[in-house]
Amino acid sequence: MSERIDVLIIGAGPAGVAAGIGAKREGAERVVVIERDWDLGGILQQCIHPGFGLRTFKEELTGPEYMHRFIQQAHEAGVEFRTNTMVFQIDRENNTVWTMNKERGIESLNPSAIVLTMGCRERPLGAIRIPGTRPAGIYTAGTAQRFVNMEGYMPGKRAVILGSGDIGLIMARRMIWEGATVEGVYEVMSWPGGLRRNIAQCLDDYGIPFHLRTTVTRIHGNDRLEGVTVAQVDEHMTPIKGTERFVQCDTLLLAIGLIPENELSRMAGVDIHPVTGGPVVNDLLQTSNPAIFAAGNVVIVYDLVDNVSDEGLIAGANAARFAAGKITSAKRIPVNGGENVRLYSPQIVTGETDATIFMRVTHPIESACRVFAVTDNGTELYTQRLRYARPGEMNEVRINAVKLNESGNVSNITVDIQGVK
Amino acid sequence: MYDIVIIGAGITGSSIARELSKYHVKIAVIDKASELPAGASRANSSMIHGGFDDKPGTVKAKFCVPGNKLWHKLKDILDVHLDECGSYVCAFNDDETKHLEELLQQGKANGSAGVEIISGDALREKEPNVSPEIVAALWSPEAGIINNFEAVNAMIESARINGADLFLETVATGLLIDDAGNVRGVSTNKGDFTAKIVINAGGVHSGEIASWAGDNSFKIIPTKGEYFLLDRATKGFIHSFLFSCPSKAGKGITVLQTAEGNLMSGPTATEQKDPEDRSTTPEGLAEVLKGAKRLVPNFPVNMNITTFAGVRANTESGDFEISALKSPRGFVNVAGIKSPGFTSAPAIAEYTADLLKEEFSDIVTFSPNEKFIPERCNIPRFLYMDMAGRKALAEKDSSYAQIVCRCETVTEGQVLEAIHRGARTVSAVKMMTRAGTGRCQGGFCCPRVAEILSRELGIPLDEITRHGGESKLLIGKTKEFLLKGAVSE
Repeated sequence: MSERIDVLIIGAGPAGVAAGIGAKREGAERVVVIERDWDLGGILQQCIHPGFGLRTFKEELTGPEYMHRFIQQAHEAGVEFRTNTMVFQIDRENNTVWTMNKERGIESLNPSAIVLTMGCRERPLGAIRIPGTRPAGIYTAGTAQRFVNMEGYMPGKRAVILGSGDIGLIMARRMIWEGATVEGVYEVMSWPGGLRRNIAQCLDDYGIPFHLRTTVTRIHGNDRLEGVTVAQVDEHMTPIKGTERFVQCDTLLLAIGLIPENELSRMAGVDIHPVTGGPVVNDLLQTSNPAIFAAGNVVIVYDLVDNVSDEGLIAGANAARFAAGKITSAKRIPVNGGENVRLYSPQIVTGETDATIFMRVTHPIESACRVFAVTDNGTELYTQRLRYARPGEMNEVRINAVKLNESGNVSNITVDIQGVK
Repeated sequence: MYDIVIIGAGITGSSIARELSKYHVKIAVIDKASELPAGASRANSSMIHGGFDDKPGTVKAKFCVPGNKLWHKLKDILDVHLDECGSYVCAFNDDETKHLEELLQQGKANGSAGVEIISGDALREKEPNVSPEIVAALWSPEAGIINNFEAVNAMIESARINGADLFLETVATGLLIDDAGNVRGVSTNKGDFTAKIVINAGGVHSGEIASWAGDNSFKIIPTKGEYFLLDRATKGFIHSFLFSCPSKAGKGITVLQTAEGNLMSGPTATEQKDPEDRSTTPEGLAEVLKGAKRLVPNFPVNMNITTFAGVRANTESGDFEISALKSPRGFVNVAGIKSPGFTSAPAIAEYTADLLKEEFSDIVTFSPNEKFIPERCNIPRFLYMDMAGRKALAEKDSSYAQIVCRCETVTEGQVLEAIHRGARTVSAVKMMTRAGTGRCQGGFCCPRVAEILSRELGIPLDEITRHGGESKLLIGKTKEFLLKGAVSE
């Protein structure tokens, strides 16, 4: 017989630790968080730069400091953690979760509710199919960050950074601090992938050249990376002939996107959204399997960890309510993304709770615009004016449950961001 | 002092080494790589051909069907993953259908069992994702797809179990010939290897090696083949091996599901001078994609996880070059082995052993090795084990309860076993365990594998290489590097 667990949480990063706290606060008796790493905190363990928690704690913390505060709360609340433990299978018939670790061997667990908080991983080089050789010296920015910040080793002396995701920008600065040269950051799009503040603090402050509409078109070197060819691209992302340039480097760091990590979600049989790559969730952060909840970057990749923690608290609390039989069937109003919305989450609103819908625009708007939510029967649920909207920076709309429930017969809601005159 | 030195530990050299280890002879296998497989045996279509494609009377035709039959037995003996899925050659029009008829007759002449022509609709019943424009297909039920990483390691391991010595990172630099015109061994970067017989299984370098013996009768034309490899989540998109109808331009682009379930497509056939240039190119990759979409219109290229290229040892004649030279005596070519080389290798090995016995029994005694152990076990494949097997393994050895590679579910126990079997690089662990072959391409496991290598071998982490040579993963410790005076320009 397997032990009784009310809420089982997979992954002890910011979302998972918060989910543990949320579940305990809601009254769940046994809450267990499974973590494959030897310590808690997920990727924030290696994010030793400041800038976390401005919204939650009103101060600028490093990643480990931010996590420490949540981990302490979780311990105080009585959340159990199992580290060095991997969930390697979820059986969709009965929600059995299979774990393994060196001390306990292979075990099966049958919790009343599950929260998926596996986070995301970095897009590898193969995903963008750059021609050339396959030498040593090519790392995702996060792998390089682990080497430098956690192991204390340098991946190389002269780096090129492809992509302008936040970890790439942070690593550009980190490489400089360690005495390396950063030849430049190359971004294929016309706009940066990461936050503006990181462009300023990590590139501009250190004089690192930032090239938009430019990409790496070839990799050179057999044993160790010897250089890359870079070229400008046209509006179809095709390299423009004559703009190719050889850049000597021994390291190529990739910050070309993050992918929600949903192998286990697929095994569990929950519906995956084709655009976000994460589970389809409602505003209770419940997936298509009513006993399985999901929160954080496993659902949609966030900019700010504060949002991830908030979502974790919500998912954990609702999982505890489900385990106690307090969530039965909920109303399901689908949310549609408007013309300039690339992705958004949650995709379903229940009207049982106030909901925040997070989204990213497809194309930047560099003038006054507004973010809004409107029902199919014409009720404006939310509107807010913005100075700009950029793909690298998430926007949100808040839907008030009372207002929604007073809006009559609503069969769907559209969220969008549009320019205003 | 060895009886026999084999240059090259690809599938050809490894298979010959294993075959010869059935006799009481001292064998050395040398290879310049740091891990196996390295050359064309690493980067190819992993196809075990049905044997209909080779003109009757060619050397290839002689070995392909027997090799195929041997692999169907060896897969259990050597514990190698072989998907016995069969293959289809797809015809898009009447001309191509006529060509299928020729291939059918050729297959029958070569002894390829069960080959038949089926309709396009019959193909689509088995493979719903192929093009609606395919009108007919040649079905070859005996064809299969092998895990080529496992197969080469299995062959060389089996040879070593039976007494052969393997020397990696050992580059042959010349042939030792005595005054009487007999072979006396091979010179290498690691010193001389004396031997009475030298077998040239040097793949793409076999032409150059033959020239050391004064044999310029054939020339190797290095021919690059580029490939796409997709996420294993594509498993079942197709279930077998799809060929285009061969044309004057070659066998054309194929689409297949690897033995492990990844969708794969390739290869191009681009002649080049440099035998070591394994870079992919924009033109090559575009050609592969076009060919893949012709066979499988919805080829899900967005699930690509890597691209790679291999260089095959084409000859001008297009055929294998297998012979013992009259002079210098003791020099044997097993050269120009390309498609269907992997398929043919075990049959070539048997033939080569017979050739050696016939030609050189006066200089080497080939008495049977009664203690020959045919079997060899692969490193446990945790991913494919049932739960009871996994539990038993983890209980016996707790390192099998620690995951190192999350994409392919490879445990620390498997990595340790690979190191025990000789892995010294991150890529060697990859070849032997599949750690790093999955969708994150080593992003997660590479640092962990490097740490385990460092710990187990007692080598500092910054000395660990990706694939030997100068391919170090790291350049030193952080602050140490800063203090050494590296200054940002």
